Amino acid sequence: MGIVQYVAKRLGLFLAVLFIGLTITFFLPRLMPVNPIDGYISQLMSLSSGSLSSEAVAELRVNLEELYGLKGDLLSQYVSYLERVLLRFDFGPSFAYYPATVSDVVLNALPWTLALLLTTTVLGWALGNMVGLVAGYFHTKRLATLLEIVGILIYPIPYYILAVSVILLFAYVFPVFPLSATFPVGEMSLNKLGLILYNAFLPALALVLAGFGWNILSMKALAIATTEEPYVTYARLKGASNWTRMTRYVFRNAMLPQVTALALSIGTIFNGALLTEIIFSYPGVGLIMRTAATGGDYNVLYGVITISIIAVATAGLIIDLIYPLLDPRIRHK
Amino acid sequence: MVKLSRYLMVPMLGVLMGTTSFAQEMTDVGTPRSETLIVQTFDGKVATPDAQNPFISYAIWRGFRELGWSSLWEMDTASGQSYPELADGMPEVLNAEHTKFRIKIRPGVFWSDGVEFTTADMAYTLDTAFKYREKLTRVSGYTSIVKSWTVIDPYTMEVETSEPSYSFETSMGVYTWGARFVPVPKHIFEPQGENVVTFKNAPAVTLGPYKIKAFDPNGFWQLWERREDWQRSGWGNLGEPKAKYVLYKDFGAEETRTLAFVQNQYDIDTFMSPDSIQAAKARNPNIQTFSDRFPYHDMNDACSWAVYMNQQKAPYDLEAVRWALALSLDLKQVGITALSGQFKVAALPIADTPVTNPIYYEASAQFLNDLTLADGYKPYDPNFGADLVAALKAQGAPESELPTAENIAASFGGGWWKHDPAQAEKLLASVGMTKGADGFFTMPDGSPWVVTLTTPGDWNKNLQRLGFSIADSWKKAGFNVSVQQVDNGEFGSTQSTNSKLDVMLNWGNTCVYNANWRNSWGVFKSDNVKDATSDEPLNGNWMRVTDQGIFDIVTKSASLPTGSAENIANGNAIAQKLTATMQAINLMSIPTTVPTNSTYWTNYSKQDNFYAAPYTWWSSFKKTLVNITPTGK
Repeated sequence: MGIVQYVAKRLGLFLAVLFIGLTITFFLPRLMPVNPIDGYISQLMSLSSGSLSSEAVAELRVNLEELYGLKGDLLSQYVSYLERVLLRFDFGPSFAYYPATVSDVVLNALPWTLALLLTTTVLGWALGNMVGLVAGYFHTKRLATLLEIVGILIYPIPYYILAVSVILLFAYVFPVFPLSATFPVGEMSLNKLGLILYNAFLPALALVLAGFGWNILSMKALAIATTEEPYVTYARLKGASNWTRMTRYVFRNAMLPQVTALALSIGTIFNGALLTEIIFSYPGVGLIMRTAATGGDYNVLYGVITISIIAVATAGLIIDLIYPLLDPRIRHK
Repeated sequence: MVKLSRYLMVPMLGVLMGTTSFAQEMTDVGTPRSETLIVQTFDGKVATPDAQNPFISYAIWRGFRELGWSSLWEMDTASGQSYPELADGMPEVLNAEHTKFRIKIRPGVFWSDGVEFTTADMAYTLDTAFKYREKLTRVSGYTSIVKSWTVIDPYTMEVETSEPSYSFETSMGVYTWGARFVPVPKHIFEPQGENVVTFKNAPAVTLGPYKIKAFDPNGFWQLWERREDWQRSGWGNLGEPKAKYVLYKDFGAEETRTLAFVQNQYDIDTFMSPDSIQAAKARNPNIQTFSDRFPYHDMNDACSWAVYMNQQKAPYDLEAVRWALALSLDLKQVGITALSGQFKVAALPIADTPVTNPIYYEASAQFLNDLTLADGYKPYDPNFGADLVAALKAQGAPESELPTAENIAASFGGGWWKHDPAQAEKLLASVGMTKGADGFFTMPDGSPWVVTLTTPGDWNKNLQRLGFSIADSWKKAGFNVSVQQVDNGEFGSTQSTNSKLDVMLNWGNTCVYNANWRNSWGVFKSDNVKDATSDEPLNGNWMRVTDQGIFDIVTKSASLPTGSAENIANGNAIAQKLTATMQAINLMSIPTTVPTNSTYWTNYSKQDNFYAAPYTWWSSFKKTLVNITPTGK
């Protein structure tokens, strides 16, 4: 298959995935047993100690239907949604945070999510794979067993326990870091950056630890299998050093599935990390999504899920396109 | 042989105790800790903290309602009486029909940017609300009652309402704690023109004695600074607020909040669960509850929790079934299990508070004692409180922390329904509902009956726990209960849609706070009745009342002065009708747990030092700010 055909096929698949994803994204939230208007009215009634008159509620209901774009049948709403999203990337107003637009709400939270999750995902992947590689390549040594034990111990710990343990240890027993983040406001400066890093350290540590264990174990298994390959044995017989064999022969071949996993992990970071954001009071997309899901904020859900679909699909496309560069066997094929 | 764990326990406890004495000189937002009162936010993190436009979003939490906005008339939540705040006196009624009113405002009240507050601001607010009413989401509360308005002079205005109003001060001012009408600064909003419908108004120019100093764009905190000209503010006449800064911050999940509270990182919490409060108190002696005795917390919230049943749907349309559910509920045990015994019961569909007790509970005392069901059974148990004391004592509660005999009613409530599953079974049998082979009650035709109980999820932990305990109690009595935990949005949908409602825990129609019962029960009318399986949303009447007698009382009371004997008698009549036919199983006052930390501030309002209701989201917080004193640490 020529390169052009290969790329064209992958691109076509990418666009098909996007279209199907967008369609499912539109209909899925509509199946939730939540009506965003009822949610808002319920909140308002609660704020008024139930004292809003029926007439006031009726008027509000009509206005909200208009403002939220929930008038008309489902098909006309779907067509309008596709047109807005595909042509203008406009997801409309958020229901829960009206009149803030979905873009405002999401773009406010996204940099925080990306900064934290991108960093910790890559760090956790890199550290875990390095340790796993050493553990796998030297799997007959006692050190390798020790490294594997680290992975086995950390991996099964539920994230919630890990996160709370990190807080207890580093913010309560030894109060080095804050229990809950307080990010400074104002223009960016060195001082502000330092405070951001200080406040973000604990959530980052918990996330790195959470991904660390799995990467150790998976890379170790791959490294052991790859070390047994005939070409590695041949390299040893040729007189290649341990370092050369470990990095150029074993790592290069074992990392292929790990790169796929990394790319897909990066794609999913746009969903945020809800538990992290709740436990560490960290601003991010996860909390936005949760509020949107519980409040029936369709527009925010569309926005975040669409971005996530695009991110994951794009990650997949990039993997498909760079794999031939990484693996000559695929390139040749 | 001593266990190894004990050797580890001692140094661990020492470290833990050591971390309790954690002193800060400056807060995380750069203000002196000794001058800053730090409060846990009511609503957690806000997604759009720059949404500060009262026409749209009514930023109400994180200090807006208490420190930033001001109302024409506030309500003293301890007495249930309205008092003038921006207004110079109560509204003057201008006609016999009670549709025309004169409002005078106090001269010399200034916005935080130095511009005087006048009737021009009020007129602009009304003009804009009506002009853009289809696009503004927070104005229907007053656009539906105001007909016209006229400015007489900068401090006098006349308003005409579309319907007679006998409590104009709560229609246009505060009822319990929320005000529908929030005046906006004309000089800030008018230049926005049509953009006023999306104008964020951040940082808002305020009328209260505090101005916004800074807020977290991520919504975790908001810092208020006392105005230098606080005496010229909307409630500056109450006295000088002692805290130079007030920081509202979300300290996160309850686990981290508790740790932060123990570490003295903040001063007042909001709705911490009883277990966490006990744990925090054990680690930090400066942490205190409202009282040292059961139920430890102030139980005078405006609303009460109740079980609302879809009375239009079988079998809840049968009075015998509703009574059976009430009599099968072991509320003593439920309250001990879910709330550690820290609750106050209320048999009428009204919270039992110092305000409502003389108006409703005293008036209905004989009614409750004499209440008799069709078969001659008397369901009321006036000794509920005493029995609860005995149960708590048996479970090891220290006697010094239990109420004395003369305080039992004030602490745990006057009485509730008997726990009598045998009588419940008799009632159900009278309508053809008996237990099947599986031990659960069936429908009259023998088909299985599952009670679907909707409760809040994590967003209301105490009510969530209560729901599970109630389900457990009912199951023991032979009801097949399925608990459906729902998020906020779905709670609203279930509440307002007949087809979705079976039975739910709610409070929306049990918020009668004073003699003005129509504010809460005015929604009991035939317009708010839909078919039993309807998908159309209701605009009120969450209790699904269909009693024409009640509708008639509501209608004829519309022309009665709120405080009149006849109006109060009508309110009592409705309460008694709802109770006699068990149209909702009222449970208890909403337990509002507001623990305080006296490391940096002291003289909070407590039971033995009472000057204001302890809630930070009510008008009483204004009195708290005026009365607290810094410890100097």
